[in-house]
Amino acid sequence: MNLCGKKILVTGAQGFVGTAVVASLKSRGVLDENLLLPSFGEYDLRTREACEEVMAGVDVVIHLAGVTGGVTFHRAHPGSIFYDNLIIGVRLMEAARKARLAEADGEAQAGVKKFLTAGSMAEYPATAPLPYKEETLWDGYPDLVHAPYAVAKTMLLAQAQAYRVQYGFNAIHLLLTSMYGPGEKDDFVIPSLIRRMVDAKRRGESFVEVWGTGKPTRDFLYVEDAAEAIVGAAERYDSPEPVNIGSGIETPIHALATTIARLVGFSGEVRFDPTKPDGAPRRAADTSRARVFGFSPRTDLESGLRMTIAWHLQNRS
Amino acid sequence: MDLKDKKIVVTGGAGFLGKHVIEALVARGVLRDRVFVPRVEEYDLRTREACEKIVQGADAVIHLAAKVGGIGFNREHPGELFYDNIVMGVELIEAARKAGVKKFVGIGTVCLYPKFTPTPFKEDDIWNGYPEETNAPYGLAKKALLVQLQAYRDEYQFPGVYLIPVNLYGPGDNFDPSSSHVIPALIKKIWEAKQERRPFVEVWGTGKATREFLYVEDAAEGIVLAAERYEKPDPVNLGSGMEIAIRDLVLLIARIIGYEGEVRWDATKPDGQPRRMLDTSRATREFGFTAKTDFEEGLKKTIEWYTKNKS
Repeated sequence: MNLCGKKILVTGAQGFVGTAVVASLKSRGVLDENLLLPSFGEYDLRTREACEEVMAGVDVVIHLAGVTGGVTFHRAHPGSIFYDNLIIGVRLMEAARKARLAEADGEAQAGVKKFLTAGSMAEYPATAPLPYKEETLWDGYPDLVHAPYAVAKTMLLAQAQAYRVQYGFNAIHLLLTSMYGPGEKDDFVIPSLIRRMVDAKRRGESFVEVWGTGKPTRDFLYVEDAAEAIVGAAERYDSPEPVNIGSGIETPIHALATTIARLVGFSGEVRFDPTKPDGAPRRAADTSRARVFGFSPRTDLESGLRMTIAWHLQNRS
Repeated sequence: MDLKDKKIVVTGGAGFLGKHVIEALVARGVLRDRVFVPRVEEYDLRTREACEKIVQGADAVIHLAAKVGGIGFNREHPGELFYDNIVMGVELIEAARKAGVKKFVGIGTVCLYPKFTPTPFKEDDIWNGYPEETNAPYGLAKKALLVQLQAYRDEYQFPGVYLIPVNLYGPGDNFDPSSSHVIPALIKKIWEAKQERRPFVEVWGTGKATREFLYVEDAAEGIVLAAERYEKPDPVNLGSGMEIAIRDLVLLIARIIGYEGEVRWDATKPDGQPRRMLDTSRATREFGFTAKTDFEEGLKKTIEWYTKNKS
């Protein structure tokens, strides 16, 4: 689907991933007047009315709005995280499904032709074999801390599949890995490490302490690459099956920490506190399905970290 | 919780299961005018407004209202079955939480179990695979409510419990062939074949699938016992501990009705989940529930009700 000339609704457009997706769309020639970017202050998408209002005249929905945070946030708010994420997604997809274009002869046609939902690799079972393959998504319960969030997202996959069967509605579900880059909130590992090392360097401190053993691995994807994947899927991925979006590269936390220290110019010690939790031991995604629509990440970790650190120094220090 | 002096909201209270739950409540001394049954004509529970209205002043909520149907209905309406059930449940639980409801009973379904769960189905196995495809959207929509109740207990100490009933049957069931479940569908088919002296009946599938059936009065008793005595976040199966192949079910119903014609199998129609049988020990252990009704007795009562009420 060529996105130019289509009216595109992007929820969560003011957020970390949303900002990058909007930039990606514009670089493809999507005009400002065709981008509908509702903010939470204007539209509370937990209500049916708001979802129906924002859907007027829309061809494509890229649904990125959600409520999330670091581990502390998930531990404190499992209930509201479940409710907000689930009700927004379910009501928005239903509003999109019902939206009709009034035609000249009075026969209404389906308005929304493509609906993209942003899921997460947190949806995988805690004991899923590595690297994560989309076929194993249903084979166990997600890790307990993120389970309410994960289940709320997986329900959008279930809704998408049911709507495709009953209504021929074209909705897809992406499983996004840990993203990083300019604009990311501080309670995630990369911005948190950057901030602390920049501060430690400035204050002349001799060490920075990192939670856990440093051994866990993560698949980090630079947010601009993620945005390219999201837009590419909106253009070219039309399957009912979910698709992993990641770099396919596992980076141990200790290697991440030493790389950030080097790029920031922090010469003190990186100390690990093994009494603090590690979280999942490994995260690695099989990224072959995304090649179906031509996605391949361009930014290696060191380049991505450089750009993120530069943004941090300009905007946060 | 002693239910006798409480204001209880029973959604779906006018339906098949609901009517029996109300009878069970009244039999325990709950005053009928303290039980509120929101009617679908007045309250669309897919709206936040209706959910917030009906929980005002409620002490307990027993949420039975659902959009349901047999295997054929599930195959044709997966989108509606998913949306209606998930939105109703999620909004109702949120409304009940905000209103300070002191007990919420959520009702799941055996359809939430993975397609290939080892028998007898144990509650600890519910997440180990995808449900059977013909009923997955329905099963998943209800399964989400378990996660919501557990998350709400965690964050808000919201007192919600969740039960997983197996296939229900009994007087008052839906006999409309466009949406009925297997027992009413077979009773109607075989009864009509006998009346019209047809030489054979055609039954969906291969006959090899197995099912467990719980008599609706037993289910109602289990639900009320859980409302009174169960306070934990873990889901609980409600079943009868029996398993019967569809082939044998057909022969049993035919014998009770006195139909002697041939049974023909339409293998182009789906069997659904290959086997169903629940481990019912948690319900007995946690709140003293054991199903009482003998299967053949329950079938006879159901057939009797059908022949008296079918017009």
